[in-house]
Amino acid sequence: MPSSISSSDNAYPAPKTAFFDPEHVARPVPAAAWRVVMLAVIVATALLTAGWEIYWRGKEFRAGDFKNTPALWAEQRRKATGDATVLIGSSRTLFDVDLDIFEAIAGVRPVQLALEGTSPRVFLKDLADDERFHGTLIVGVTTILFFTSEGGLRESVIEYARNETPSQRADHQLSLPLERVFAFLDEQTRPKRQMTLAPLPLRDGMKPRFDPRKLQILDADRNAEMWSRVVNDKAYRKEAQDQWLLVFRLSAPPPGPNGEPPPPMPDEAINAVISEVKANVDKIRARGGEVIFIQPPVAGPFLEVEQGGFPRARFWDRLLTMTDSAGVSFHDHAEMQAYDLPEWSHLSPADSKRYSRALTPLVYAEMEKKKAERAAR
Amino acid sequence: MLFNSLTFVIFFAIVVALHHAPFGWRVKKFNLLIASYLFYAAWNPPFVILLVISTLVDWHAARWIHQSNTEARRRLFLILSLAVNLGFLGFFKYGEFLLENFTTLMNSAGIVYKPPAWNIILPVGISFYTFQTMAYSLDVYLRRAAPTKSFLDFALFVTFFPQLVAGPIVRPSQLVPQFAEEKRATRAQFHWGLALIVLGLFEKVVLADSFLAPAADGAFGAHKAIAPLDAWTGVLAFSGQIFFDFSGYSTIAIGTALCLGFALPNNFRFPYAAIGFSDFWRRWHISLSTWLRDYLYIPLGGNKKGRIRTYVNLMITMLLGGLWHGASWNFVIWGGLHGLYLAAERGLRETIAERAWFSSWAFRLAMALLTYFLVNITWVFFRAENITDAMTMLASMAGLAKNPAKVLYLNEIIPAVLVVAGMVATHWRLRSTTKEALIETWPLWLIVLVWTFMLFMLIITQGSDSAFIYFQF
Repeated sequence: MPSSISSSDNAYPAPKTAFFDPEHVARPVPAAAWRVVMLAVIVATALLTAGWEIYWRGKEFRAGDFKNTPALWAEQRRKATGDATVLIGSSRTLFDVDLDIFEAIAGVRPVQLALEGTSPRVFLKDLADDERFHGTLIVGVTTILFFTSEGGLRESVIEYARNETPSQRADHQLSLPLERVFAFLDEQTRPKRQMTLAPLPLRDGMKPRFDPRKLQILDADRNAEMWSRVVNDKAYRKEAQDQWLLVFRLSAPPPGPNGEPPPPMPDEAINAVISEVKANVDKIRARGGEVIFIQPPVAGPFLEVEQGGFPRARFWDRLLTMTDSAGVSFHDHAEMQAYDLPEWSHLSPADSKRYSRALTPLVYAEMEKKKAERAAR
Repeated sequence: MLFNSLTFVIFFAIVVALHHAPFGWRVKKFNLLIASYLFYAAWNPPFVILLVISTLVDWHAARWIHQSNTEARRRLFLILSLAVNLGFLGFFKYGEFLLENFTTLMNSAGIVYKPPAWNIILPVGISFYTFQTMAYSLDVYLRRAAPTKSFLDFALFVTFFPQLVAGPIVRPSQLVPQFAEEKRATRAQFHWGLALIVLGLFEKVVLADSFLAPAADGAFGAHKAIAPLDAWTGVLAFSGQIFFDFSGYSTIAIGTALCLGFALPNNFRFPYAAIGFSDFWRRWHISLSTWLRDYLYIPLGGNKKGRIRTYVNLMITMLLGGLWHGASWNFVIWGGLHGLYLAAERGLRETIAERAWFSSWAFRLAMALLTYFLVNITWVFFRAENITDAMTMLASMAGLAKNPAKVLYLNEIIPAVLVVAGMVATHWRLRSTTKEALIETWPLWLIVLVWTFMLFMLIITQGSDSAFIYFQF
């Protein structure tokens, strides 16, 4: 061992009793040409990393596609204050509303707080309880999630935003410039994720795991659109569709004892959800804010499930009536039909722009109409 | 601030730059002190006040103990130090636990008692720095050492950022003397320090979080009876996860300190190659086990007060050692099991005469595997959320659970089993040596290959989102 440092030769007074003998602290350094090692490691790692970056770019990953982290959401949540225009909802609201187009038409850039797999009711409550917010709130309604779940996949972001530590915030700020440069910085490329995606056989008796594929790319302010690979790569699109079919199978309520279809959601349960929503909507309106609901397009099995299990009259219409709110459903507007939804749930990038062009003026027109209606009463 | 974060990379680069700048040693120590407070404040700035109070109280208490002429006064000032340190621990860490148990006791006695909501956040690493400062006052009280003359050195000893929140728990005699004279790493030390940081991060980010956590979380997160394969995979995966997580932290701490020219003691020595439990505790969380030995077991009388007292002292030490980890009966049981194992081992050694074949390779390997098996039983209590879950997991491992479910996919089982097998084999292979000695035998290309692999894996894993497990203690 060529070198070591030690605390044994010290100025600290020696123990006055004999029995205590603290462990001698020696820190040997193995003999090796460490400078050469370091240089070689840095060069080899840089080369491997470059290869890794090229590999993932070949799979349509791109630099400037930001991770949809709690910190990214928290950064936007801090902007949702005063008279801001805010979008909440699930992944359809996240993918389908193009913030650039909305801003170009409305003259205001909305704050995007929608999150995949999560009911907007938790975000509605969060904003209703925040006295500083008195702006315009656009609530995307994915009927299944909205009525059956209070929270969902990502609801913990609210707690995260409230308790974010200085170091977490600093980490986020340091990560952004790297994500602008490197395409491989993506949740999907991590070895842990790749191990999960490895097509290994299922153990006997186990159900396959619902594991939705990467579907979107995201700007630094959470302006999102569908990932090009979902549109261009037929096999990948099939994987994404298969996951939706799987979740329908896994989450379908069991039939009755004689094979009859499961009972529909009772009126009391629907009314309870809407009453809770109304209380929060009223809080925002009492401060001078406004709330409007939107229902982005769906197709294929999603449309069948929503129309079959969540008929409009019992859910969407009742929501608007009981909360005395305006709403823009894709069902009601000719210009919102015949869109391209590659995996049935979200619009293609081109059609999210078309949808946003149609949606933005309608949101403001419907809100004004509703305000006038209320004023006239 | 997490070691596995970009913030730490920038923070550490600045600290190293300042440490190598042409300032006087006192200024450099001041820089390290401020850096250490910043490091801690990055979680929750107000909790820095606890560090300051702890520092001031032990600094003065130790001086007053040293200057006192009577035993009564010395004891009084020691009680002051213990009361403040244990008071912080009691309030922040054990308050809710005590309240819950008090409520249960009241309710079981037929007295309706509804406790107030307990919304106290646990300051990160409070158990570590509390034990470290208490060691200082205790050393002075027990006349093992005199108080240091420099307040700056003492404040830096309490807060030194590499080991502040998760150890190794350093003794005053190990670290304070190192602040007396200017410390600056040699080039070899600096490079080896960086190599240790990469190794520690690899252990934490790649092995613990990416390869082992999914299986451990999947099995322990089921909260129901699971198949024996799933249960064993989950428990073995946790044995690896907790080792790589904690050993990774210690390795990074040692590497970080070394880059600045300071030496921290080892905290692990290939513990899963331990043959018996006294051996295990000489290899696992060494800084805690020696702390408990020197400040609890020996003051209680150790093995000097007869057989029965020795066993009682062992049990008290391990039960409190368990409780040190967290305010839950699970940790008490974990400590209790280790106490029982140690007592049983001691009893066997006293009653069974040494045989020649005890030192055979096969017997030692069998004993090491038995030790590892028994350690895994204790990990069930350490990891499970409550005693019911722990008992369900033990029943699942024994194949006695009713309606066991399969909860782990091959995607989780295969990586976990491979890493755990590799870990146990490596510990066995290296049980009598050190990684430094091993690396000296390696050719240059192998060192480059191994560290390139680890650094590349770290980069493509993109850090991890989880804190070190031991932060919660």
